[in-house]
Amino acid sequence: MTTLRALWEVSLALCLLAMLALLLLLLARVLSARLFDRTSAARQRLLPLLLDGDPTELEPLRKGEIQAAADLTVEIAEMTRGSEREALLARATALGVTDLLIARLRSRKAQSRLDAVEALSLFEGSHDYVIGALDDRNPDVRLGAALALAQHANAPAPIDIVNKLNVGAEENSLLLVSLMVDLAETNSEAVAGLLFEQDLSHRVKVAAMDALSQRGGEYAPLLAYMARDSGNEPELQPRIFRALGRTGHPAGADAIMEGMASDNWTVRAAAAEAVGKTRLVAAADRLSTLLNDPHYWVRYRASEALLRIGTRGVSVLREASRSEDPVVRSAALKMLAEGRA
Amino acid sequence: MTLEFAIPDPAEWMVASAEAIALVVIVAGLLQIVFYFVLLLYAGAALGTRPPVPRSATLWRRYSDQAPAISVLAPAFNEELTIVESTRSLLALQYPDFEVIVINDGSKDGTLARLVSEFGLEQVDRFVDRSVEHAPIRGFYASPRLPRLLVVDKENGGKADALNAGINCSRTALFCAIDADSILESDALLRVVRPFIDEPDLTIAAGGTIRIANGCKVDSGRISDIKLPRNFLALVQIVEYLRAFLMARVGLGKMQALTVISGAFGLFRRRQVVEVGGYSHGTVGEDMELVLKLHRLMREAKQDYRIDFIAEPVCWTECPDTLSVLGRQRARWQRGALECFVKHKDMLFNPRYGRIGIVGFGHILLVDVLGPLLEVLGYILVPLLWALGPLALPWLLAFLAVTFMFGVSLSIATLVLEEIQLRRFPKVRELAVLAVIAVLENFGYRQLSNLWRLQGWWQFIRKQQSWGTMTRKGFATN
Repeated sequence: MTTLRALWEVSLALCLLAMLALLLLLLARVLSARLFDRTSAARQRLLPLLLDGDPTELEPLRKGEIQAAADLTVEIAEMTRGSEREALLARATALGVTDLLIARLRSRKAQSRLDAVEALSLFEGSHDYVIGALDDRNPDVRLGAALALAQHANAPAPIDIVNKLNVGAEENSLLLVSLMVDLAETNSEAVAGLLFEQDLSHRVKVAAMDALSQRGGEYAPLLAYMARDSGNEPELQPRIFRALGRTGHPAGADAIMEGMASDNWTVRAAAAEAVGKTRLVAAADRLSTLLNDPHYWVRYRASEALLRIGTRGVSVLREASRSEDPVVRSAALKMLAEGRA
Repeated sequence: MTLEFAIPDPAEWMVASAEAIALVVIVAGLLQIVFYFVLLLYAGAALGTRPPVPRSATLWRRYSDQAPAISVLAPAFNEELTIVESTRSLLALQYPDFEVIVINDGSKDGTLARLVSEFGLEQVDRFVDRSVEHAPIRGFYASPRLPRLLVVDKENGGKADALNAGINCSRTALFCAIDADSILESDALLRVVRPFIDEPDLTIAAGGTIRIANGCKVDSGRISDIKLPRNFLALVQIVEYLRAFLMARVGLGKMQALTVISGAFGLFRRRQVVEVGGYSHGTVGEDMELVLKLHRLMREAKQDYRIDFIAEPVCWTECPDTLSVLGRQRARWQRGALECFVKHKDMLFNPRYGRIGIVGFGHILLVDVLGPLLEVLGYILVPLLWALGPLALPWLLAFLAVTFMFGVSLSIATLVLEEIQLRRFPKVRELAVLAVIAVLENFGYRQLSNLWRLQGWWQFIRKQQSWGTMTRKGFATN
């Protein structure tokens, strides 16, 4: 009986506790609404200071206002470019915004640290602090710092950045591709060098390949080599073929032709897609044999590629549209109709 | 030698029986409560440790280059009044690479005609997959002016059937299943795609939050002013949805034991969905069943995977505000859960299915299968037995604790979590109103809800398959 009574009493206590907590939060909300009014007023006062005037005439703000100034700076910086942004950042530095952002790097909240890193990367003199954030305990903050650094010419070496990110163990994000694209803008050789690092996660290498493929045909022979060499990695190979296709360069022709004969349907589909993107007319006949592939995606990519490669491809599709095989006929007819639409 | 039988005293026997009944009801209720509190803790941990969320301004800059293409599948049946505005709202989503596939599921009204005339569509042909089953497609409609839009006209087959047609017509690695009459926030796709960007090799599905739009102002297919409804039933459902999404789904997602992604808003990897045969026909719980099939597929193939729930992306929907429509909806949900449970009962407590068999199915058994039966039994018997004498007062108090008091504290605790982590209600007054509703709903509404769920049980036993009708009033517009 005492247990049953205790259950009732515990439920009452929990109920009261929850209500008390909510009451406190309601009170906190009322107070924060007042604070919000004060912040809005501070923003209105600070806006002209940030947008106009000589930075040397500005003095650091008081603690209460500087937070509003930091938020305002980031918001305006995202909307401005060039000299206008530089002048804004100079005024913000004079007002003490960078000091606040540096202090925020020590916040317990990962969200605050990430916001601070992204904001600090806008300021020329804060490079070392952003590099320091590559050692942050939170992987998202580290990635944010890496992405911010990669947009600057004086970014650390790609191998150092990927080592800090602990790719494969802690970091698997597709944003690695964005990182590699930005790093390749200033140092494509170093990004290509990642492909030959033996101990590096395959995720880094795939991201590097995706990034290099966006630089046109320059790295097509290297990607073609990688595509052939990755035959025993069915998850990886389709992505390399797609990267090879993106280069639009004929250097990958042999590798692509081999890819279309793969036992793995995802590789066949990716290779067929690459044919369309590189407009490999010589592959038209090989593509026509894929029109009766058991997998829809292979049939679709093959018929789409035939349409993309132009006259020769269209004539192969027309011929296939008269095929006795209903699967081939349907694929060809539908794609021809889509091409006309 | 004499045989002696101990004949029990009838009074003692009655007391023992009454206590046994009360014990079963209380223990089952207590297990539910403990499970809910564990979920609340997990939800708190998940929200407290969730990855930093970029501001809306940085979201696009950061994710737009790598965000995978998405097909948004919007099944529509007899929605001529709202379909044009809904489609416009979908076409205006902020996402770098997406197509909107509206599937007209054999509507008997002018849904297709409205789409064709409003968007200047023409009949086209399209090379589509036939991997998953659905009723025959009658035609495709598109316009070169709107390359993102494809309208599929098919024979009627129900929502699951329409979604299957959409899956076959989609040409992207991911598809987002929504209700055509719901409203996605403009950055919802950018937010819900995050698990697919963060863990591209593991994530196969992700769900987002559904919020109730009753009372809100809608302008050009967007929520322009968030307000609470005045209707009591709609207010109660706001608290219910908060509990369901903020506590249960976030918590289960953290445990990697999510058993349902709402049919109104879910993002899926097409390849795995095709492998499990798409949405199942002949069930009203097709959204839950799809997630269970995905778990089964990945567990049986011994592949690592993730099915996540993200609290930030929001889809707004209109909820029923009359007892009759709400009752039909709840009975249908109950029936759907029971159908899924029975179909996949071999997964229950089966170590082969890991945490989904133990936690996920344990949750369904406790909450959806046994929950309404035992709770209604308790409502009838415990007060009656106490009034007649066999049960002492502490039994009644313990029953009230598990059915009312813990329920109130859970609902309030969910509101506390909402306020600390998300702060979606702009005004203090709204939060206060919801706190009052969180208390009131336990007295009357909760009991009624259990009766509807019993009705669902009855329909399940009778193998009744109809969906019933959801009478929508349409969003209030400026």
